[in-house]
Amino acid sequence: MHTNRFLIAKNVFLPTLLVLLFANSCQKEFLDRKPLGQLTYENFFQTEEQAVQATNAVYNQFRAWECVGLSYIGITDIISDDADKGSTLNDQPLAGDVDNFTFDPSNAYFAQVWRGYFRVIARANLAIKEIPNVPDIDPALRDRLVGECKFLRAYSYLILVQWYGGLPIVTEPLSADEYYTQARQPVDAVYAQIERDLQEAISALPERSKYTSADLGRATKGAARGMLAKLYLVKKDFVKAEQYALDLINSNEYTLLNKYADNFLKVGENGTESVFEIGAAALPAAIAGPAATPYNMVQGVRGVPNLGWGFNRPSDNLVSSYENGDPRREATVIYVGEVLPDGLTQVQDNPETVGERYNQKAWVPSHPGLQDNGPGNIRILRYSDVLLVAAEALNENGKPAEALKYINQVRKRARGTNNFILPDVTVTDQTQLRERIYKERRVELAMEQQRWFDLLRWGRAADVMQAVGKTNFTPGKHELLPIPQLEIDLTEGVMVQNPLY
Amino acid sequence: MKLYLSIFLFLVTLSLHAQVRVSGVVTDATSGEALIGVSVAVKGTNLGAITDVNGAYTLNVPEANALLIFSYTGYASQEIALNGRSTLDLKLGVSENLLNEIVVVGYGTQKKSDHTGSVGSVKAKDIQRIATGSVDQALQGKIAGVYVTPISGQPGAGAVIRIRGTGTLNNANPLYVVDGMLLDDASFINPQDVESVEVLKDASATAIYGNRGANGVIIITTKRGNMGDKALINFSSYYGSQQLTRQIDMANASQFAQMYNELSGQTYFPDPSALGEGTNWQDVIYRDAPIASAQISANGGSEKFLYNISANYFNQEGIQRESEFTRVTLRLNNEYQISKFLRLGNNIAFMGAKSQEPAGVALSTLWMPPVYAERDSLGKFSDPTFFGTSIGNPAADVFYRKNNFSNGARLVGTMFADITFLKYFTFRTNIGLNFTKVKNRFFLPPYEVSVSQRNINDQLSLNFYDNTNWLWENTLNFNKEWGSSKLNVLAGYTAQESHFEEYGASRSNFPSAQNELLYLTAGNDTTQMNYGRAGEWAMVSYLGRVNFTLLDRFLFTASLRADGSSRFAASNRWGYFPSFAFGWNIAQEPFMSRQHLLDRLKLRASWGIVGNDKTQLYPSLGVIQGNLYSVFGPGETLNTGATLTTQSNANVRWEEATQTDIGLEAAILQGRFSVEVDWYNRLTRDILYELPIPDYVGSAGNPVVNVADVRNRGWDFTLNWRETRQHFSYSLGAILSTVNNEVVQLDERKSEVSGGGTASGDQATLTRVGRSIGDFYGFQVAGIFQNADEIATLPRLGDQKPGDFRYRDVNSDGVINDDDKVYLGSPIPTITYGFNAGIEFAGIDLTADFFGVSGNKVVNARSMSRFGVYNWETTYFNNRWTGEGTSNTVPRVSNGGVNYRMSDFYVQDGSFFRLRSLAIGYTLPRALSQRAGISKLRVYASGTNLWTKQQYTGYSPEFAGENVFSAGIDYGNYPIAKVMLAGIELTF
Repeated sequence: MHTNRFLIAKNVFLPTLLVLLFANSCQKEFLDRKPLGQLTYENFFQTEEQAVQATNAVYNQFRAWECVGLSYIGITDIISDDADKGSTLNDQPLAGDVDNFTFDPSNAYFAQVWRGYFRVIARANLAIKEIPNVPDIDPALRDRLVGECKFLRAYSYLILVQWYGGLPIVTEPLSADEYYTQARQPVDAVYAQIERDLQEAISALPERSKYTSADLGRATKGAARGMLAKLYLVKKDFVKAEQYALDLINSNEYTLLNKYADNFLKVGENGTESVFEIGAAALPAAIAGPAATPYNMVQGVRGVPNLGWGFNRPSDNLVSSYENGDPRREATVIYVGEVLPDGLTQVQDNPETVGERYNQKAWVPSHPGLQDNGPGNIRILRYSDVLLVAAEALNENGKPAEALKYINQVRKRARGTNNFILPDVTVTDQTQLRERIYKERRVELAMEQQRWFDLLRWGRAADVMQAVGKTNFTPGKHELLPIPQLEIDLTEGVMVQNPLY
Repeated sequence: MKLYLSIFLFLVTLSLHAQVRVSGVVTDATSGEALIGVSVAVKGTNLGAITDVNGAYTLNVPEANALLIFSYTGYASQEIALNGRSTLDLKLGVSENLLNEIVVVGYGTQKKSDHTGSVGSVKAKDIQRIATGSVDQALQGKIAGVYVTPISGQPGAGAVIRIRGTGTLNNANPLYVVDGMLLDDASFINPQDVESVEVLKDASATAIYGNRGANGVIIITTKRGNMGDKALINFSSYYGSQQLTRQIDMANASQFAQMYNELSGQTYFPDPSALGEGTNWQDVIYRDAPIASAQISANGGSEKFLYNISANYFNQEGIQRESEFTRVTLRLNNEYQISKFLRLGNNIAFMGAKSQEPAGVALSTLWMPPVYAERDSLGKFSDPTFFGTSIGNPAADVFYRKNNFSNGARLVGTMFADITFLKYFTFRTNIGLNFTKVKNRFFLPPYEVSVSQRNINDQLSLNFYDNTNWLWENTLNFNKEWGSSKLNVLAGYTAQESHFEEYGASRSNFPSAQNELLYLTAGNDTTQMNYGRAGEWAMVSYLGRVNFTLLDRFLFTASLRADGSSRFAASNRWGYFPSFAFGWNIAQEPFMSRQHLLDRLKLRASWGIVGNDKTQLYPSLGVIQGNLYSVFGPGETLNTGATLTTQSNANVRWEEATQTDIGLEAAILQGRFSVEVDWYNRLTRDILYELPIPDYVGSAGNPVVNVADVRNRGWDFTLNWRETRQHFSYSLGAILSTVNNEVVQLDERKSEVSGGGTASGDQATLTRVGRSIGDFYGFQVAGIFQNADEIATLPRLGDQKPGDFRYRDVNSDGVINDDDKVYLGSPIPTITYGFNAGIEFAGIDLTADFFGVSGNKVVNARSMSRFGVYNWETTYFNNRWTGEGTSNTVPRVSNGGVNYRMSDFYVQDGSFFRLRSLAIGYTLPRALSQRAGISKLRVYASGTNLWTKQQYTGYSPEFAGENVFSAGIDYGNYPIAKVMLAGIELTF
């Protein structure tokens, strides 16, 4: 428009006076500026190293607030019967709404995790698309990196599909004309996408033992098998769940640690029981360092010692669900008066908080920086989880004897040297054994963000919520979270809300 | 280029003539006192002189009947033909005719009577009345349409300036032009070096700055050398004291204890009243602090050489402990008449500054429970963690984090050459440079007040910032007059480039905290870290302007600038910015010659398009983000991660403001009363806006798209009364401006933007089409729930208890939810105004400046934040609900939760009216001071921010935010100070 309006000025008046000083070509060079010290999309994905960096960036997103901060804790543990909101009475009313099922689709927690995991997916999509085109990349490295990204993408979709149901399936970077057009696909299509990614990841990824020590924590063949077994549990395909769980178990890549509590300490990070976890570290920093997570801070002791915000309080119901003398309760719950695992600090009563308790599995010792600089690796999949997946699948497939083998491995380890507690399970009746396995899962994996998903796939969320007095839970509605309202607004209805919201 | 120059030289040499020497004395028409520093110029040449301390001048003129122009700030200029005389004495009257003033405009100066644009002007005297190191802050309340908000009370802090409203959703700061150098700020300027500040407001004035003029332009001109027989040596100095303008009345220890007992439902403090006053933390953290300035300058010159050199020392300790700002400025403004046709000049400023910036403790000072002393009985800093407070002890923060110093060095200067040729032409080439270096050094020792207020490993962090910005401008000026008509044509070509780099490094484990060991080498090299970033931009511009005055009555201006900016993709790079203006000097019309009431009457109108290119450096490119580390292995090594995280938009371009201005200037009663009125309408289109896209796209940020439109409309009024009698003069002035800000368009899918996050998770502002930017939005409080019955029967927001706010059920649907939120006011004042008054009598001068705003609201976000047991304000204690019937306005004691949601309870009137400055001075009679060899001696006392009338319960209702969506929100800033000082001015 302006070009026309001022054509005369541009073409006659100005050049006659001034072009003398700066030839046009020279001018273009003067005005063409590229970012300094930063690559652009045009010149990235040119080297093997950049392919690795793009993959690392996918892992990086899992440490973000949106993926493992309070909203994540809120709609995994706090929403379940394992935990209450915690902290002081009025802190974070949004978490209280999640705890009590008084939320609506505008509650920011749902948008945060949705955003967080879709950002993982976007980073993975870009890497999966571009890494195969990187010139002269070692084919083995290429396949491994793409496999890692597919695993990470599949894990993100698995979390999202359990929360929200059907999803837009985005597997490639979207262009501007595709921003508003993605509709939700049926749950089965999402499962199929996850299954495809994990199958490809199993083929592409090495076993845990094939990685160098410095690479421990990258996605492995075992992690992909374990995650696929969990997907099949969700799909109630118990035959395949059994198959992939046993594949993992029989690979002999994993063992249970001797001490249950070690899993959640530094000594257990990337240990032989860890099938998949997200690495974090506390580098020297005044506040949050480049390798930190908010995971420890949001669940840390509030008051004295002031380690965090004190959310995710282990519930009375959880505390009373342990068998007598089960040492896993002590390893899971921090009480007032307890001396922390560092052996130095005693937790003092904070008059601001009623019924004070904290998640010991998120506890981290004194570290550089402050609370924000959370150094704890976030455990996603432990070997004991896989053993219980195997037990559950075997029981459903009518193989109680084999199921007992795996559940009792878990109990034996928990028992340690104290033979007076946690006797072996011996029931072989499918229904009774199922109850024992469900109970075992709860206490073994308590406060590890598993419970809500277990309740959902067992179809027990409604009953359990009623039983613990969360009477606002509406069956047929609250099994799924609401799709963030903004997604529906921006797509002008292409995205459809879940029932009853 | 070279060829042209040779031709010019040749032509100009031909026109050399014999010279005539003229001298005379210039005196004040009323008092008869000699006027020092009057400029005497030979019309049509660069020749000139300046009167000395006796009012005398001497000058060589090229021809015996040359025309001399006498001009002096505040006095009416006069043009006198020599007619062969060699002596010419003159009496100058105080400017009855303000319209004869010369104003500085883009790329030149103009007689105000010939000017068609809207320009506000402030002279040196008015700027120096405010005790501040910042020219920005000194502009508050001086010019209609210019709204100045101090960034904070931190020594050395500047101000946020909005000219005629907020014209963008992004960076709305004006462009600064300092002696011809185009800059983003003027923080290096010593206010005492300033001759005048002009603010270009309408498109006729700003369009010549093209893509950088849309938010208005501030032109700062520093003092030039003056010709005279004797050099003028000026010395001036002041010393004063600053203190908090007011304290916020916080609850004392016994009140706090009582409220804590109510909060916890226990008798934690058995006898609150025994605790008495406790600690007033504002007394602990804030102090009376000195401010001082000393300046020496020399000013003088001859026909061949003019100089103004100055040195200034400025020191301001902060009213918050451990904060300080020290600045040394040197200035060298010279002009050299090399030959009759060639004039060279330079305006060079060097600034060195050192600033100590302590931890920000404005909030924790208010929140700290008064039951704690600064230190406990063992001498350790007291730890407030017990109450679940997530704040640290502010005294400890200040103490341990005080070793934080910035050293800034800046060299800003221009050098120019003027070549006059062919009688009517002047060619100017101007080179400007801006070198900035800032070094920051922060040492954090190990300490432990509590687990959340501690530092385990010591750390020395250094940060270096370095910016080089150069500008080269070439302009050609044609100037010709025919009787009462004149023509001025300007054409120019300019190029500018800016490059910055920043890097930093740190180490830990220093052998001690002694200053001489706080260098990286003393730290442990295994702990070292470093980082860096850099960026650059470039611009090439063509500009042209025609000013035509017909018969002294009809004025025409047209201008065009073409800007090529490196920020945009090659296909989208060039913007064209035209303006047109017309003026009519009605009082000059023959039909007006019989009336004697109106001395001046001018009507003017202008229209133009101006741009704003202040966006990111590479907004159209997909920049790979680094630092996305992953952590693997037992060694927890950091693995570099990098990828494209954000969707970009290759079609990004500048924002475009179309502005219309209609103005009227009039003067009556021999110029004693003058008035200037402007109406303006500025529509900014294609404003860069973060296009909301669904989160499933996975973009870390929304792509920026040119989509939004914002309109600012309003009036600017300036009135002045000025009268001089025998030994007595006085003046009164007033400015007033109105702004009507309206968002005309946003993205069609989501035509609202929220901003201004609060601790409760609410957003305090919601910007929508049809409303102004950053309007406050939230619940309305209808009262307090008095009992359980009301809770059970009335609409409520989730779980509520008696004593909680009862929010208004706006849509009467029986529940309180987001649909019951309403607009609660705007942070943008509808009216800003200022008054000034001055009187001079028998050597005594008295001046007062007032400044006020009204029609705006502010949000007290500092009181909305409660993550633990913080202290309360006394008004809260006095009015809180403690049981049925005790209060219907202030809720029960609670921490966080439903009573801290964004509501009108936290929205307060932002109007204020302030005595910005008050000064009284006495100038010794010359006869007396001259005996001591002093030509002028003035002593004075002045105060800044002495008195403010405000409704707001905080320190001051002024909160400058660069983010337009969170303006007017009190997040707890370093408070501004009031200043009282005494000073002396000496001229030798």
